[in-house]
Amino acid sequence: MDDLREQVELLESKANLSTSIQDIQKAIDLLTTARAKIAADPHTAPITLAKLQSPFKQALKQANDDLKPVYSSLGKYGKALDKKFKDKPLPTAENDALSSHPQLINRAIAMHLLREGQFSVASTFIDEASRNPPHPEPTASTPNPYLNESWEKDLATGTFNSQELQLQFAEMYHILHELRQNRNLGPAIAWARQRSDTLEARGSNLEFELCRLQFVCLYAGRDDDDIMDESAGGPLRAWAYARSEFGPFQGRYAREVQQLMGAMAYWENIMDSPYRRYFYNGSAWEDVAASFTREFCSLLGLSADSPLYIAATAGAIALPTLLKLQNIMKEKRTEWTTQNELPVEIPLPPAYHFHSIFVCPVSKEQSTDQNPPMMMPCGHVIAQESLEKLSKGARFKCPYCPTESHPHEAKKVFL
Amino acid sequence: MAELTTTKLNAESHLLLDQPLLRLPYELSRRTFKNAQRYIEHANKELPPLLTSALQSASKTSSPAPTLESLDTLISKLTSTKRKLEALRSEEQKLNASTAARIAHLDALFSVPSLVDVKYDEWSRTRLVRLLVDYLLREGYAGAAEKLAQERGVEELVDVDAFVACHRIERSLRVQRSTGLALAWCKEHAQGLRRLGSMLEFQLRLQQYIELVRMGHEGGGGREGMEGVENGDEGDGGVEVDMRDGGGGFGGVNEKLVEARAHAKKYLSASGDFDLMNRVGGLLAFRPWDEVEPYKSLYSPDRWTHLAALFLSTHHTLYSLPSRPLLHIALSAGLSALKTPSCHSAYASSSGNASSTTTTVCPICSTELNELARNVPYAHHTKSIVENDPVVLPNGRVYGRERLGVYNELVGETEGWVRDPVGGRGERWKLKEVRKVFIM
Repeated sequence: MDDLREQVELLESKANLSTSIQDIQKAIDLLTTARAKIAADPHTAPITLAKLQSPFKQALKQANDDLKPVYSSLGKYGKALDKKFKDKPLPTAENDALSSHPQLINRAIAMHLLREGQFSVASTFIDEASRNPPHPEPTASTPNPYLNESWEKDLATGTFNSQELQLQFAEMYHILHELRQNRNLGPAIAWARQRSDTLEARGSNLEFELCRLQFVCLYAGRDDDDIMDESAGGPLRAWAYARSEFGPFQGRYAREVQQLMGAMAYWENIMDSPYRRYFYNGSAWEDVAASFTREFCSLLGLSADSPLYIAATAGAIALPTLLKLQNIMKEKRTEWTTQNELPVEIPLPPAYHFHSIFVCPVSKEQSTDQNPPMMMPCGHVIAQESLEKLSKGARFKCPYCPTESHPHEAKKVFL
Repeated sequence: MAELTTTKLNAESHLLLDQPLLRLPYELSRRTFKNAQRYIEHANKELPPLLTSALQSASKTSSPAPTLESLDTLISKLTSTKRKLEALRSEEQKLNASTAARIAHLDALFSVPSLVDVKYDEWSRTRLVRLLVDYLLREGYAGAAEKLAQERGVEELVDVDAFVACHRIERSLRVQRSTGLALAWCKEHAQGLRRLGSMLEFQLRLQQYIELVRMGHEGGGGREGMEGVENGDEGDGGVEVDMRDGGGGFGGVNEKLVEARAHAKKYLSASGDFDLMNRVGGLLAFRPWDEVEPYKSLYSPDRWTHLAALFLSTHHTLYSLPSRPLLHIALSAGLSALKTPSCHSAYASSSGNASSTTTTVCPICSTELNELARNVPYAHHTKSIVENDPVVLPNGRVYGRERLGVYNELVGETEGWVRDPVGGRGERWKLKEVRKVFIM
């Protein structure tokens, strides 16, 4: 990168068009001086003009010569660029599996923009995209793009035309804005309370976390106008809040509620009390906002981080490996035979593993719906096909321990 | 065996997607330079002789008026050259600044220690915006592209202007069916196109010819000449065309057809493709409504779409832009790398689902990408990846013991009992029914 940068700096500082422009200006100056002289004294015209010939030519030639450093600098920069990307070919269409589904891509982008809160970009995009629908192009796996297949169209236009998603994300951003900027828990609590049952089934304690934060706010009297150094106004308000709101939490969060109540006793010196962590937790607001976003997206069936972002990043990480594979295949003139599965393992950071993966220790194949993992009575798991091959329908020994069992006793498991 | 996971970042090989980022401004810089060179060369060739002739005429006459006039002409010509150069200079400045910004952006990647670093996350988000803007521009959604670039502050890293110009030309071919803009573009890039051996200009000229012939056949109704068609000299046809009258309703030689023949002589005859030349000649005899191949397809309006596509591909090759949007390339690779058989399974996965707080939704299962990923291959794994200390519930679902515990605590399940995180408040079992499972 350094030599590229050097070359560009050189281009900008020295090797640019400004010297040539100066030369042209010099030629213009020569002409204007001569013109003034001739206008003042017409008799000097022949001699002035004769004297002008060679400097004028010179000035123009200079303008041309001064282009040379620009030319050579550009050339050097070009070479540096070639060198930098020598072993990095431009990605080809072979790697492209998506051109046949432009509507789906557009939908994914629209959803991405909405979830990122870029509503005006999203609406411009949706508007432009519906006026100029994209054209599918054939790809290796889908030589005949099926734009006319109705499910894809419905799927794509369904989201495009409905304002619902936009409204939902607008609500999410409204709540987040209230949380982060205005420190107002009201809308978030209202949202959580409406979905109390669903959230509880998910094992989410968002509602309680929000209410607890509200309690803490009231306790600290943060949003209050009058100074309450000696009065217990804050804690009293918090107490009142707890009495009216904490009822439903008694079952699941009895301990937490007790602790919050215990804090009442320390209202004068909460800083030194064991309850300090509840009241002086700097990241509390961000934590609540993050867990709100997560729950909100999950309830819509969406991942908390933009899938487009995760997939594009994973793609960039995977590309070097895939490129290597492509080169090897080209060299050996082989085709990869398993259409459903990539032929190489792509190393990704652990955060990019979302599902558990079961690879049968016998056949080394990944489990699928057709070949699910089966647990034998001993607790070892192998793929169904391996099980059938090993047992041939009769009692057999587990390949990993001495236990014998009948294939009927094996049980399908879900990872 | 390959490593299962990696957090190592190899910045050098990570730049696979980023070549166009530097290539395009470089090609644009070169074009700017070429234009400057042309202007200066032109001035060098044209102006000194003018000055010499001024000298000659000045020595002949005593009146200063003509001398002053010719000097004024020279001054105004040179001033206009200077103005043009200054415009190029400001373009050059802009390009240099954006190149510098791009190099700085790419360079930032080299100081990122690993793939799990926050800095990588930031960098990758900027890259996504770049890829999105690139995609939007390619699809012709310039308004959204510009807005997105502005809102995310990446104007320096994207090439809105270049793509807008490109799409104006593409649309002029596809929608307005006019060759003017495209031919002007060809003229400006003549050198590069020659190097590529591009047939674009020839195809455009051929289209002009076809349109002239069409107008001729349609009874000279269109008196308005086609823009972009220089008036070819009306000499005798060099292309030997058998003008046997196809039973048409035009008497004698139609004016437009003559023009078409002249056009063909001027622009098409040099191609050396005699087969094509025969067809070109035959076009004079067959009218657009005669359903005869191969003339029918030459007359077909589809040719405009084809020309538009040819222009786009020529443009992209000339500027070293990949033929498909980079977003497609990144996403295709990413979808495969992330996809697992569980993502399109008929059974709910125990992990990476939306049904409990203890796991995050898998991006491939998320609505945005699920259908897109249906046709890509899934990632290859040589080893199982499961949570620590896996246990199985009586219904066959496997969880890490810790996560199962956390979930049951969160939902406030009574001690000694467990619930399945998938399915919420469904069945519950005694804790002792939960069995250890061995996954190798």
